[in-house]
Amino acid sequence: MASKLLASTLRQTLTKATAYSVTRQFSTAAAVSVAAAAPAPDSYEDPNGIIMKGVKIAGRPLYLDMQATTPVDPRVLDAMLPFFLSRYGNPHSRTHLFGWESDLAVENARSQISDLIGASPKEIIFTSGATESNNISIKGVMHFYKDKKRHVITTQTEHKCVLDSCRHLQQEGFEITYLPVGSDGIVDLKELRAAIRPDTGLISIMAVNNEIGVIQPMEEIGEICKEFKIPFHTDAAQALGKIPVDVEKWNVSLMSLSGHKIYGPKGVGALYLRRRPRIRVEPLINGGGQERGLRSGTLPTPLIVGFGSACEIAKKEMDYDHKRIMALQDRLLNGIREKIDGVVINGSVERRYAGNLNLSFAYVEGESLLMGLKEVAVSSGSACTSASLEPSYVLRALGVDEDMAHTSIRFGIGRFSTEAEIDRAVELTVKQVVKLREMSPLYEMFFFLLSLLTEKEGVNVWPGFPCLVTPEAYDWENNNFHLFDRVEADAASAFIALWLEKYNLSSQSQYEDVQQLKWNGDKQMVASVRNEVCKRLLIFALSEEAYLFHRRRIAESSHK
Amino acid sequence: MASPARTELLGLYRSLLRTAREFCDYNVREYVKRRTSDGFRQNRNLTDPDLIASVYREGKNQLAVAKRQALVYSIYAPKVKSIMELDAAITTNTTN
Repeated sequence: MASKLLASTLRQTLTKATAYSVTRQFSTAAAVSVAAAAPAPDSYEDPNGIIMKGVKIAGRPLYLDMQATTPVDPRVLDAMLPFFLSRYGNPHSRTHLFGWESDLAVENARSQISDLIGASPKEIIFTSGATESNNISIKGVMHFYKDKKRHVITTQTEHKCVLDSCRHLQQEGFEITYLPVGSDGIVDLKELRAAIRPDTGLISIMAVNNEIGVIQPMEEIGEICKEFKIPFHTDAAQALGKIPVDVEKWNVSLMSLSGHKIYGPKGVGALYLRRRPRIRVEPLINGGGQERGLRSGTLPTPLIVGFGSACEIAKKEMDYDHKRIMALQDRLLNGIREKIDGVVINGSVERRYAGNLNLSFAYVEGESLLMGLKEVAVSSGSACTSASLEPSYVLRALGVDEDMAHTSIRFGIGRFSTEAEIDRAVELTVKQVVKLREMSPLYEMFFFLLSLLTEKEGVNVWPGFPCLVTPEAYDWENNNFHLFDRVEADAASAFIALWLEKYNLSSQSQYEDVQQLKWNGDKQMVASVRNEVCKRLLIFALSEEAYLFHRRRIAESSHK
Repeated sequence: MASPARTELLGLYRSLLRTAREFCDYNVREYVKRRTSDGFRQNRNLTDPDLIASVYREGKNQLAVAKRQALVYSIYAPKVKSIMELDAAITTNTTN
């Protein structure tokens, strides 16, 4: 009873954020001592807002970066707390209750995780995260089989830890094949088959990419690996709990799992190791022989309990979350596309996980776009989020142009995202993109060309595509465009095919669906795309000097 | 175990929504509200009394979890609220 009273007074004294609590003066020693012992205030936060790294924002940003990490689910925290407070034993202590209860909790968590992936609890070992699991898989497997197997196959879009482990193996003398991916991010199965050699010891392909969200054809790759009897490793950190994962259907021998991507705590992960047929690895961390000798070290019971609880919740909530997140992704995409054009989705549109939306905005500079989006916590594939000046290697592997790669933004939607947050993110993104495009000379040139074209009759234009203007079309002396109203059908269709491919509109139905475009809410440009338009399309190219020359002449003539 | 009466079920629903309001974190609060209404809506046509009883029991457990966590979150509430809760215009000044 006393504890309930204390809890309610605690809540009333310390809660500042809810408008429903009323702060009262208390004379009880407990309340005073607790208030005095409140955590030291961080220097960057004050009731007026946050100032950090030269940026001032009024409140905590809305979080749309679920691929980087996810907030801990309250139910997971509830499961973890007793193991920080009273059940703090070492699970490997075999002589007393503390050890026994911790061990019970760890084994329970093991079965919760194995349930989610369709494995047996004996096949799971706990690590410090997916990075460590990837290291154990790649280095451990190849070191174990180093006499017979000297080759590893992986893709160019893997996570950094996989690529770095492979590079480490290369330095030791192994050979690695980095498979290229298509422009949709999916690995080509024929190329995979062609790359397999008799001494291939491991194939490592991640299930869901963290940057672009594409889902690889896991079952087909598993079939190939089964046929050639090669161990199949996958990094399922982003896939766990989001898409159905089944180690039997996928035929994986090793799978890396991460806790903090499914609303669990950071610092814990797991590695699935198949027992039939048994895959052997050489341990990376030696010690007391915990986790079957493969990963020594005291198990972090609270984190593991949290991980297990997160898996159990994910299993129950997967359908509900997936439906919601798909609806939110549509809302985000349509909201942005309604207001601005020149938005390209990086990666396959069909085979993707709904919670990961990687968009590139044409004619916008990436760094300035991010600087204006400080109220939205998003990530990008541009240089400012990486240490070097290069854009993301994943986008480069997809064949995305450098300028488009620099303006890419990755929106991560999760279980706790709300419609209001999505609407706000759409509003802020559109506002910032429009503002930047107004300042962009390239965009101005494109817009000018487009307005010029639409004044001519019989012209069909695709809005959103930069027009190529040939210098021959420009009459320097009279400041006129010679408009060719008939173009060679072959040249036109070749050009169109190129642009369709570039903007991922390769299917005929999408091509015909581009019917209407609203432009900044002010202008309305209706462009209908038909098959015959190829024969009547204007194609012309303008160099920047010609454009500026023309503008100057217009300005001079208007001053007269 | 007897199937819970209609008043008990409604009481559970209301308690869950009341507890949701006590969360100081915007995202968690919205999630609890939404998940309870969606959960109750999904189960509204159940007829098997054992199933109803087990679902009710699970709901009560979730209520206990929510109450505990509302307290924990309020003790460690950040000083600054989320941007979604501030309805005034957002100011973003970059001070170089």
